[in-house]
Amino acid sequence: MLALIRLILLGFVFLTVIYICLSFYSRAVRKSKLRKKWHDGKQLVDRDTFVQRGLERYDGSIRRKLILGVYVVPMVVVAVIIYLTNFA
Amino acid sequence: MLTVIRWVFGVTFWALVGAVFHYTLPQVDIVRITDTYEKRIDFGENSIFWATADVGNDGTTINRDVFFVQARRARGDVMVYRNEDTGWGWPPYFKFDTSNLQAEAADAKSTADAPQYYAIKHYGWRNEFMSIFPNAISLRPVEGPDASKGIPYLNIIIILLFLAIVYGIWVRWRRFRMARIDPTLEAIEDEVTEQRGRMSRWLGSWRKK
Repeated sequence: MLALIRLILLGFVFLTVIYICLSFYSRAVRKSKLRKKWHDGKQLVDRDTFVQRGLERYDGSIRRKLILGVYVVPMVVVAVIIYLTNFA
Repeated sequence: MLTVIRWVFGVTFWALVGAVFHYTLPQVDIVRITDTYEKRIDFGENSIFWATADVGNDGTTINRDVFFVQARRARGDVMVYRNEDTGWGWPPYFKFDTSNLQAEAADAKSTADAPQYYAIKHYGWRNEFMSIFPNAISLRPVEGPDASKGIPYLNIIIILLFLAIVYGIWVRWRRFRMARIDPTLEAIEDEVTEQRGRMSRWLGSWRKK
């Protein structure tokens, strides 16, 4: 039981670091893409408003929620390993 | 001198990384199982080469009984495997079925007269000087001593992933160094040489007279 708790805690900390890094990185990429899009577009609104709106849309998007896969994928992998090692 | 130190350090580091992978990743032996037994082990200097007590049992005792599987490999030499739970710990095999595997191994025993061959998946090393044994993971029957072990796809994928991550970090680090650290160092060096130049000019102004 203790070993399981240790695995969960360590895994959670480790994956949270990855999750935070990845979400910042993804947001930065989105931001630079939006700036480029504004630059190439008709420029009906000023750049900051355009980028702001785009980021708000990004915050609600599925793409952003996909980063939660950082937690889901390792859990699935562990479950598959447990099945293959002990029950296959 | 610095390059020698660098090389020694690098070779040692990569040898250690290689050893960790060689110890941890699964390997397959084609064996004939000759016997199974259990023995009490008092863990000493070799304790890091043993896994944990069966999951759910008290893991803090200083000794416990461990299952072993004795085998003769297809290539002719003998090998003794331990059979222990890895549980939720390292290495991440998540093996909980130690007792079941022992039952399978006991059922798989055969003699040299009527040999039956099995592919035994295991990780770890056998070392007589430290009394350490590879840990058996699973067992499956094969036709004969020349049966194929299969291509180790999992090992290939894991090592490739590891190398890709190392390469990714290395490239980014080099880029960061070239963009941020090297120019700063060069600026400091330039400043130092300039200061020196000023100093010698000042000295020279005394000397010339």
